[in-house]
Amino acid sequence: MVSNGGRPNLEPLEFNLNVLEEAFSKLKRSIWVFHLNTGSCNGCDIEVLDVLTPYFDVERFGIKLVGSPRHADLILLTGPVTIKTISKVVRAIKAMPRPRLVLALGSCGVGGGIWFNTYATLGGYPNLEKILKEAGVEVDKVVYVPGCPVRPEAIIYGAAVLLGLLQPKSKHRRVTAVES
Amino acid sequence: MSYDLNELNEMIEELSRGPRSHAILSKALSVCKDSLLGLSRSGVTIRVKIKANCLRTALENIYKEHDLYFRTMSASDERLREGLIKLYYVFGIDSEGTNIVFEVPVTDGVKVDTISDLFRASDWYELEAHDLVGVEFNGRALRRLVLPDDWPEELYPLRKDVSMDEIKKLYQPQVVSRISELGVEEVVRIPVGPYHPALHEPEYFELYVRGEKVVDARYVGFMVHRGIEKLAESMKYDQVPFLAERICGICGFVHSTSYVQAVEDALGIEVPERAHFIRSIVLEVERLHSHLLWLGVALHLLGYDTGFMHAWRIREKVMVLAELLTGSRKTYGIDLVGGVKKDIDKDKIPKIRETLNQLKKEFKEFVDVATSVPQVRARLTGTGILPRGEARAYSLVGPTARGSGLARDVRKDYTYAAYHYVNFKVPVYTEGDNLARTLVRIDEVFESISIIEQLIDMLPSGPIKAERWEPQPMRLGIGSVEAPRGEVIHVVITDLYGPYRWRVRAPTYQNLQAVPIMLKGVDLADAPLTIASIDPCFSCTDRALIINLKSGNIKTLPLEVISRRRWKDG
Repeated sequence: MVSNGGRPNLEPLEFNLNVLEEAFSKLKRSIWVFHLNTGSCNGCDIEVLDVLTPYFDVERFGIKLVGSPRHADLILLTGPVTIKTISKVVRAIKAMPRPRLVLALGSCGVGGGIWFNTYATLGGYPNLEKILKEAGVEVDKVVYVPGCPVRPEAIIYGAAVLLGLLQPKSKHRRVTAVES
Repeated sequence: MSYDLNELNEMIEELSRGPRSHAILSKALSVCKDSLLGLSRSGVTIRVKIKANCLRTALENIYKEHDLYFRTMSASDERLREGLIKLYYVFGIDSEGTNIVFEVPVTDGVKVDTISDLFRASDWYELEAHDLVGVEFNGRALRRLVLPDDWPEELYPLRKDVSMDEIKKLYQPQVVSRISELGVEEVVRIPVGPYHPALHEPEYFELYVRGEKVVDARYVGFMVHRGIEKLAESMKYDQVPFLAERICGICGFVHSTSYVQAVEDALGIEVPERAHFIRSIVLEVERLHSHLLWLGVALHLLGYDTGFMHAWRIREKVMVLAELLTGSRKTYGIDLVGGVKKDIDKDKIPKIRETLNQLKKEFKEFVDVATSVPQVRARLTGTGILPRGEARAYSLVGPTARGSGLARDVRKDYTYAAYHYVNFKVPVYTEGDNLARTLVRIDEVFESISIIEQLIDMLPSGPIKAERWEPQPMRLGIGSVEAPRGEVIHVVITDLYGPYRWRVRAPTYQNLQAVPIMLKGVDLADAPLTIASIDPCFSCTDRALIINLKSGNIKTLPLEVISRRRWKDG
């Protein structure tokens, strides 16, 4: 369980799915993003900053980086989720208003990358998803953007796929590694 | 085994590389001749095998030498081979380019005397050796540094007898509440926004403030510990450079180069000249992009976003250049043990020249404007002062040291790759404030452009990698590279198929320990820039925990917000 930090425990709001869908359908442009580094090497992070600066300039689409997950529609999740960041990552995603969107960036975000099997990481977003479920945090839509580091063009494409403006380049298919 | 004095003096005479290493070795070893287990030299590295009980005595004699710096320390579990754990302390004599390695065998149950009061930089190394390998130290407080607080006792991940799968069975990561995370009781009672990770990297500083002034600071970090060194032990020699490059996404190539240099040093591999040139060119391209990135971020933290955007606009040209040279914008992946993977074609050279000329022109224009903005100058001048003496005591590296008047540069002091062919200056400023560190980096951009121009003029022909090389077990190799942030040093102990032990030391590891000194007495608004001025790998926007001592209020805010806000007393 995630502690509420001294706040009174509110009953979880009953979500009307129709309201959620309607909200989601309206979310087409001017999305606000929060950049969540879960122990990444900085490679994806500097590419995220790159798309915000003049050469790629996503602010022309109204995409804006914000300082708090409470203001964000979308989380840009980079890194393989190290064990020391788990608690903070869960709290950050929990703080987002619904609908919660996640763009899992880079090989690490997609499946742990080169760190998929070390003792100090969870191994990317798919494993974090299980922990989020246990903590009762629902995420409404996830798009995976691979690459090491992820290319700036791919980040923009991924955001467009998430909003339903473009079609994904490949279908999502999960392969579970067989442990020896 | 013990040596008599004459025998010892003869050996030191034979092994030393010059007057400085002779003087330092004589001073250190004259008091320890009964505890000396062996003395040898390979290349620029002198290896001293010494019993644990005499290490401190030996170092007490030499810690005041002006050109002796603590470079790194590696703990290695060699119980399966020699029945004990070993510590390798690496010191460097800057004026001579000599490494002195103190090899200390530690038998079970023996405590090693701390040297963290002699060489203050060694503080974290000792904590890390305690966390990961289970070495005990005398005369200092030990706490968890790298691993989480709920990590099981007596489980040391870097010991050879625990496998990755076993560790994963023994430790299940959990979502913990805020109380146990911070270890402070009152924190719970104060409603704070959800404490979430940094915008760019999850690291924390706790700043203790009285009114506007920072009175103390504490670093709470190691959020990005990913178990790299354990992972490398299951990899082959040529797989590790790819792993090394992913240590840091901003300056990854310095890590892979440092690793391959360490292996080449250990096994005595001859690298073709052309490979040395290509490595140097790519290293300088990386420095260009990193310094431009830092400059942009520093201006952003000052609230001068125009400068931020322009710096990143100019930087994009470097990224395109990197892609042209290596096929990748970042994480180039061209390093191999014994050479490089990708050649630089002749027809690329005019394009490199054109880009560099453009870059020089645009950067000059930009810097002239940015550094003459009065607000920028006022915020940079006289803030975050790091005196030369402190920089020396902490063995600081890179632009942080050079901004405090220490002319340390691995490219000059322990020259590697093709740097001895080129002519370049090492910019040094003595003020030790944020402006000095900024100017060092600006000068270095121009130097780097000139270095690349000289290198492509002189690029020799020939092969780009060594034909063949033979791995041998249990050799020690040291490789160091001047990264954009300072000295990167890797220590490798070899095995038949891959490294037996690989110790990575990034420049921030050394420099971060000095940040609390810089922060003491600065205005809160200048704290973010001061932290960023060492160019830590979490430079862009971090989160700080602010505790106001008078009222006991605790707030968490992104660093950029602090820097733009006026704080009222109480």
